[in-house]
Amino acid sequence: MSVTPRRGRVVANILAVMFCLVWIFPVYWMVNTAFKRPNDVTTPTPQFVPVHPTLTNFRAAITQSHFLGDLRNSVIVVAGTLVIAIALGIFAAAALSRFRFRGRRVILVLILAVQMLPAAALLIPMFLVFNKMGLLDHYLGLILAYVAAVLPFSIWVMRGFFLAIPYELEEAAMVDGASTGSILFRILFPLVAPGVIATSIFAFVYAWNDYLIAYTFMKDQSMYTLPVWLASFSTPTTGTNYGGQMAASVLFSLPVVIFFLCIQRNLVSGMSAGAVKG
Amino acid sequence: MSSPAATTVAAGEPVVAAASPRRPRRQRPGRGVKRSGIVPLLLLSPAGLVILALTTVPIGYLIWMSFTDASQRMLFTGEYDVVGLRQYRDILTDPEFWRSFVRTVLFTGAMVAGSVLLGMGVAQLLGKLGRVLRFAVTVVLIFAWAMPNVASSMVWGWLFQPGYGIGNWLLTQTHLFGDVTDTNWADRPWLALTCIWMLIVWQAVPFIALTLNAAQTQVDASYYEAARLDGASEWRVYWTITLHFLRPTLLLVTILSIIWDFNVFNQIWLISKGGPDGATSTLGVYAYRNAFVSFHFGAGSAIAVLTTLLLLVLTAFYIRSLVRTGEEL
Amino acid sequence: MRKTRTLVAGALGIATAVALTACGGGSSNTADAKSSGSAGTGSGSGKTITVWNMQGDLTDATMKAINDEFTKETGAQVKVQTQQWADISTKVTTALATDDTPDVVELGNTDVPLFANSGGLADLTSAKDQLQQGGTWLDGLAGPATVDGKLYAVPAFAATRTVIYNKKMWEQAGVKAAPTTYQQLTADLDKVKAKFGGQQDFSPFYLPGKYWYDGLQWVWDAGGDIATQDGSTWKGALESSQAQQGLADFKAFQNAYSTKASATIDTTGTGQPDQDKDIFAAGKTSAVLGNAWEIGVIEQDNPKLKDADLGTFPFPGKSGKSQPVMLAGSDWGIAAKSKNQDLAQTWVKIAASQAMQTGPIVGQGWIPITTEEINSAKGQADALHKAYFEAATNSKSTPAAANWATIEGDGAVQQFFADIASGAKSPANAAKGFDDHLDQVLNNNG
Repeated sequence: MSVTPRRGRVVANILAVMFCLVWIFPVYWMVNTAFKRPNDVTTPTPQFVPVHPTLTNFRAAITQSHFLGDLRNSVIVVAGTLVIAIALGIFAAAALSRFRFRGRRVILVLILAVQMLPAAALLIPMFLVFNKMGLLDHYLGLILAYVAAVLPFSIWVMRGFFLAIPYELEEAAMVDGASTGSILFRILFPLVAPGVIATSIFAFVYAWNDYLIAYTFMKDQSMYTLPVWLASFSTPTTGTNYGGQMAASVLFSLPVVIFFLCIQRNLVSGMSAGAVKG
Repeated sequence: MSSPAATTVAAGEPVVAAASPRRPRRQRPGRGVKRSGIVPLLLLSPAGLVILALTTVPIGYLIWMSFTDASQRMLFTGEYDVVGLRQYRDILTDPEFWRSFVRTVLFTGAMVAGSVLLGMGVAQLLGKLGRVLRFAVTVVLIFAWAMPNVASSMVWGWLFQPGYGIGNWLLTQTHLFGDVTDTNWADRPWLALTCIWMLIVWQAVPFIALTLNAAQTQVDASYYEAARLDGASEWRVYWTITLHFLRPTLLLVTILSIIWDFNVFNQIWLISKGGPDGATSTLGVYAYRNAFVSFHFGAGSAIAVLTTLLLLVLTAFYIRSLVRTGEEL
Repeated sequence: MRKTRTLVAGALGIATAVALTACGGGSSNTADAKSSGSAGTGSGSGKTITVWNMQGDLTDATMKAINDEFTKETGAQVKVQTQQWADISTKVTTALATDDTPDVVELGNTDVPLFANSGGLADLTSAKDQLQQGGTWLDGLAGPATVDGKLYAVPAFAATRTVIYNKKMWEQAGVKAAPTTYQQLTADLDKVKAKFGGQQDFSPFYLPGKYWYDGLQWVWDAGGDIATQDGSTWKGALESSQAQQGLADFKAFQNAYSTKASATIDTTGTGQPDQDKDIFAAGKTSAVLGNAWEIGVIEQDNPKLKDADLGTFPFPGKSGKSQPVMLAGSDWGIAAKSKNQDLAQTWVKIAASQAMQTGPIVGQGWIPITTEEINSAKGQADALHKAYFEAATNSKSTPAAANWATIEGDGAVQQFFADIASGAKSPANAAKGFDDHLDQVLNNNG
C-alpha cells in the first residue's frame, strides 16, 4: 500500500464519496420505487424518499403467480449447476494443467473459442439435442445446459490457479510416496479454493439470470425459474404496475447480492493472497 | 458460450497472464505426472462427456444449420433445403449485416474503453482510501456487479423513461439542456446507444476495478518509495510503475471485456429491442432477430457462426501471445 | 495404487451417472395411439390431452366448463398449461416441434398464419363443417387460420377496443352524454382539457404513440390499409392518400390530447407506465382506448372507480361511422404432431360451441366467434360491454401473411406509429420506410 500525501488523501476521499453516490444511484432508485405507493411512482416531481412507504408491492410480488415455486426451482437449479460445474471443472482443470497429453493445446483453444459463441444462437440446437435425450421439463436438463455453458470458463479459471501451484509441492509429495489421488485431493484442490469461488460466482450468476433457456426448456409453468417470473411482470393483462416491477427486481437481485457480499471477503483476499502472483 | 454480462470473476486469470513476467522462476517444462497416461483422460472424461454431448453436438448442429434454410418448417415437418455457401454469401453481401458489424465493433470499443478506463481509475482510487471508504466503495461496486442484468435493464428503462424517469428530471434540473423531461432515450439512436452504454459500463466496472486493484496491491511498496524519493510525480509513478506491473492483468480484463461486450444481448433487447430502426442492433441482436423473430434458423445460425469467427479474429493476437509467452499450453 | 483406482472409479461413476440420467426417462408422455372412431363417442377414457392457453384469456372457470363437458363426452382428461405472452412464438415453435407436443394450443389471431404456413398445425379442412357448427365465423379470426383454402385453426374468442372513459371526470367538465361523432368527441375532450389540463402530466385522452392497434383504426377509417395482396405478392399500402390522411389525423389527435412523453411509448411493457394501472387508475387521463378486460384492471387498481363511474363507446371515426377496430382474439390450433387428433378436435369443437361461447366466454366479457352469437349476445350485454359488441360489427384484421408475426416481433409497426406521433418522421417518410420493410418481410417466404 503506497503512502499517500495528506492532500491526495482528501481528494481521494471526496472522489470516493462522489463515486459512491453516483454509482449506487440506480440501486437506490430501484429500492426507493419498490416501497412507493402506485400513485407516488408516477409523479412529475420525483419523490426521493417514499412519502407513504408501503409493502404492498412486495406483497403483491410474492403472492402473485408462483413466486415461491419459481424461487424454489431457481435455487435447485443453481445449486445443481454449482455442484456439478465445480466437480467436473476441477478435474478437467487438473488434467489440463498438471498432465501432458496430446491435443491439450487444441482443447484449450477450443475452450476459449466456445465462449465466444452468442448464447442465443445455440438455443435451438440445444433444444433439439436435449429433446432427443428426454431432458426437457426436468431440473437435470436445465442444470446440464447451464453446466455446459459455464464449464469452459470454469475450467479456464481453475486451470489458472492450478498453474500457480509450485511443482515442488507435488514433487515432495511424490517423493514421500503419495498416490496421484491423494496429491489431487490433499494438496492441489485445497490450493485452488479461490478458483472454485470464482467458478461458483460465475455459475451462480449465469444460472440465476438465464431466461431464454429456462423458458424454452421447461414446458410446465410450475417448473419455471425466477427470470421467467420476472418477465411476467410486464405482461399487459396481469403484470403489475411499476412499483411492482421494481419490487420484483429487488427480490430477484437480493440473493445474488447477498451471495456476492458473503463471498467478496474471500474473493478479494483470494485474489491478493496468492492468485495474482507478482 | 459467453456470459450475458460481465458479471463474473476470473481471479485465476491474472495468474495466467501475470505468471510470465512476474514469476521469478519458471515452471520446469515437461512437468507433470507421467505415471499412468490414462489418468488424465479419466479425469477429463466426465467434463468431456458433458461438454461433448451438450456443447459440441449442438455446435455441430448449428454449423450444419447455417448451410440450410432451416426454419419452422424444418422443426415441424423436417423439410428443409441445403443452400450451402449461398446463405453465407447472401449474408455477407447484405449491407445490413455490415452495418451491424461496424456498429458492434465501434460500440464494443466504446464499452470496453469506458469500462477499462473507469476501472483503472477506480482501482487507483481504491488504493488511496482508508479502510472505511474503501469498504464503502467495494460494497457499492458489488451491488452494481451482482444485480442480474434483467433487473438492471428494467431499472434502467425506468430511469430514462420519458415523462416520469428521474434521469430526465435530473438533467432538466441542471438547466444545461433545457426541458428534457419528455425525451425517450430508447427512441433516438444516439441516446439509446448512450443509455445502453451507461448500463453496461455501470455493471462492468466493478469486476475490472476489483481485479486491477487486487493486482495493484501485489506491487512491492519499495518500488513506489524509490520512485518518490527520486522526485517522480504521481503521474509518472502511475505510468512507469503501476501500469507496468498491471499490464498482464490489464490485457486480460480487456480481452474478457471484449468477448463479453461483443455478445451483449439482454440489455440491448430489453431497452430498445435493437431499435429504433435497427440503430442498436449489434450482431447478437441481429442474429436473434433472424432466428427468433423471423424464425430463419438457418440464417440466424450463419450469422452466429460469422460473429464467432469475427470475434476470434479480433482476439487472435491475444491467443497467439498466450501461446508465445511460454504459457504452457 | 488403490487410491488411484478409487479415483478412476469415481470419475467413471460420475460420467456413467450423468449419461444414464440423460438417456433415461424423459417427460412422461402418454404416447397413445391415435384414438379411433369419431369424436365424442367416449373413446378417450384413460387418456389425457394437453391444452395450452394464454395467461389472462380464459379463466379457470371457463376452462373447467369446457373440460368438464369434454370429459363427459369422451371420458378423457385435460391437462391445462397456462403460458405467458412474452416470447410465446418461440415457446410454441419449440413445443410444436417435439414429439410430446401439447395437443391444443391457443394462438393469438395474428400469430396463426405463422404456424399455419409452416406445417406446425394440423389440417382441419375436412372437419370444418363439424367444427363450425352452423355459425358464421368472424373474418378476423377465421381468415388468419386459412391458408390456400385450408383451415388450420378454430376461432376461440374475439375482443375489440372501445373508448373507456371516466364518466365522473367528464361530468365535472360539463359533458353529459357519450359522443357519437368525431366532432362531438373532440369538443368533449376540449372541455375536459379546459377543466383538468392544469395538471402537468394530464392527458384528456391517453394515446401512446406505439399503440399501433389504435393507429391502425385511423388508417382504416380513412379508407386505407396496411398492405394489399396482388396475386401472391404483398405490397405495403401506407403511402396511399387515404392512409396518409388517416395518419395525419392520428398524429393531430395524439398531439392534441395526449402528453408529449406518451408519443414514443406503448400502453404497457418493461420500463413503461401501464395505461390502465399507472395512468387511468391514477387519474392522469380521462379516457383510453382499451379491451373489455382493462375495465377490470382499472377497477382493481383504483377501487374508488366502479362500473357506474366508467363508460364506453366505440371510437367515432371522421368517416361518420365508428372506426373499424382491429379484431383481437385467439384461435385454437391442433398440433400436427399431436397423437390425439380426434380427441383434440372434440375439445376444440366444444370450446367453439354455442353453449360455451354464449355462456362462460361472453360472461367473461369476450366477444363470441360467430356473427349470429354476437347479435344474440349484444342484446343482453350490460351498459359497459354493449359498445364492444357494436364495435365488433365493424372490424378488420392485419394481413393474413405468414410473416406478419415478424413485423410485430421486431417492433417495426410500433416504431412506425411512434415516429409519426412524435414528429420524428413525416407520415410520408415514415410510410415509405415502413412500406419497404413490409414488402421485404411479407414476401420473403423463409
